Amino acid sequence: MKSIRVFLVAVILAVITLFSFMAALKGYNSSMAEADSLFDRQLQETAQLIANIHPKSTANNIDHESSFAFQIWREDHLLASSLNAPTTLIAPLAPGFDYNNFAGYRWRTVAYFDQSDQYWVVVAERTDLRYTLAENVVLESILPVLLALPLIGLLIWAIVGRGLMPLRKLADELGNKQADDLSPIPYGSSSKELEQIVLSSNKLLARLERSLLREKQFASDAAHELRTPISTLKVQIHNLRRELPENSQSLFELTATTERLGHIVEQILDLYRTSPDQYNASLTLIDLTALVQEVLAEEFSRFEVKSQSLEFDGQSCLISGDRFALTTLLLNLLSNANKYTPAKGQINVSVNETDGQVVLKVEDSGSGIPEQHYQAVFERFYRVGGDRHQSGEPGCGLGLAIVERIVEFHAASIAIEPSSFTTGTAFLISFPAVQGDSVSVPGRLHNKLS
Amino acid sequence: MQILLVEDDHALASALQEALRQQDYAINVVASGEAALYVISTDPPDLVILDLGLPDIDGIEVLKRVRQKEHDLPILLLTARAQVEDKISGLDSGADDYLAKPFEMEELFARLRVLARRLNTSKTAEIAIGEVSLDINLKTVSLGGTELELSRKEYMLLKSLMENAGRVQTRHTLESRLYSWGEEVASNALEVHIHHLRKKLGSDFIKTIRGVGYKVQQP
Repeated sequence: MKSIRVFLVAVILAVITLFSFMAALKGYNSSMAEADSLFDRQLQETAQLIANIHPKSTANNIDHESSFAFQIWREDHLLASSLNAPTTLIAPLAPGFDYNNFAGYRWRTVAYFDQSDQYWVVVAERTDLRYTLAENVVLESILPVLLALPLIGLLIWAIVGRGLMPLRKLADELGNKQADDLSPIPYGSSSKELEQIVLSSNKLLARLERSLLREKQFASDAAHELRTPISTLKVQIHNLRRELPENSQSLFELTATTERLGHIVEQILDLYRTSPDQYNASLTLIDLTALVQEVLAEEFSRFEVKSQSLEFDGQSCLISGDRFALTTLLLNLLSNANKYTPAKGQINVSVNETDGQVVLKVEDSGSGIPEQHYQAVFERFYRVGGDRHQSGEPGCGLGLAIVERIVEFHAASIAIEPSSFTTGTAFLISFPAVQGDSVSVPGRLHNKLS
Repeated sequence: MQILLVEDDHALASALQEALRQQDYAINVVASGEAALYVISTDPPDLVILDLGLPDIDGIEVLKRVRQKEHDLPILLLTARAQVEDKISGLDSGADDYLAKPFEMEELFARLRVLARRLNTSKTAEIAIGEVSLDINLKTVSLGGTELELSRKEYMLLKSLMENAGRVQTRHTLESRLYSWGEEVASNALEVHIHHLRKKLGSDFIKTIRGVGYKVQQP
């Protein structure tokens, strides 16, 4: 992720550096040109001066290391020279400036013809030394800029930071929002540029809140609107039982259909209520064993009707969870075990803590799920064998989809394996265990189930 | 026994009225919270079945207002909202019991029997299941007409099981009935009491659901 601040500071620093160096380069070039003509004039004057002095007397005063060298030529004879000059011609004998190489250096040379004495004076100056001064001048002007760059960078960093403060504030404001907090963002202190963003976000939040409210309202309305008539149907069936013969086939069908209707309505409501954007539950510390015992006690009669044996084994285990969701999860697993296990079958439920995991296991001696269906059973409205499920049990295929959602919501995992009986299925759900002494419950896991 | 049914859904109200009448309950129906408050203040019933989703006043509000004057009137909530929070807020507001729609009639009758027994009328103070009968007023238990010697804890355990006949009572529920907070409970105390009860009542009367709890079969 790119930071606007880092980007701005880097770009501004780069621009400053670029322009400083361009200015320095320009200054260097013009300083060099200026120095060139100045030194050239000096060289010319030196040549004239040497020409005016008696050539022999000056010969030994200039040592090897000097930045100057000269020769005096009359036609092909070297009349005099400095010690560091070779005996050969150091520059062509033509008036004017030139560059030449000798004695391991590059020299600026000038040849001057003395009309009165009829000899050539050739003067040379080492180019590397003559520019030292000019370079120093230019460096002196660039160095402060170079040294100041980090300081300028810091300053820009601070200024950009200050300038971006409203944006950062807005970002914090948004970042600190709970996933279900749809209240508008305050924008009193924000800058003009952000106003539109804040206004638009607030409008969006308001719209989202309205639509979520509508949906929540719908769920609760639908629950009421559907459950009350189903209750009426049940009461009327109860009343009919007095008027109709005991073994009335119509009454039997009516009862079964009403049960099925009620079941589907409950399942759809459960699925809806446990959907991530709806589900706004708070996680609390829950003793899973106690909860399982309660649910088993409530549901015992349905196992008793089929003469199924129901056993539970478990020690008190704490997990962080939502009571309503966990109850729904258990009801769905138990309902499946009850439905798909034949009469006189065995259903075992256990809660165990191993390696920081609290494992809830529901296994039955039923027909079992073929392994190739293990994944598909979690899909909505999927039933093994389709509507012609061999058990002949009514169902809508939503139960395990609901279970999976609740599992995800609790950051738990679910696995299916063959049961420890000769036939049947075991559902294992592993929750992260919560240590008894640390009562830190993870925050809302409300958001973003994939 | 006089029951007031507060339910705005006409179809459900008349079906319930018919079903309860067959069980020899005298039943009045009102369809709004205001009407319910009026009837309760002028002609108090023995028991109220209150639907939470009323058109005028929220059911919980009706419940709270009734509780301000009538502390002992048994109130059974009936609601289409089956959320745990609703149940808790209903019971916190003074409801005696709570039944979520859609419910089984047998379940409703069972709850009504428990509530009626609390009214302590002589007719309902005795719970008889098979050979065993328990008198809540006299705190006595008899088997086939012969009075049994039970310890206080054994009596409380049996009462809890018989009052909720047909429903499994978890170990946790039973233990919390027997012992007050902080009391040291031996891990097998409950088993010991049940063992003693079985010796006195016969081994089949109390059924064990392994790992979950105990139950007494419904009569």
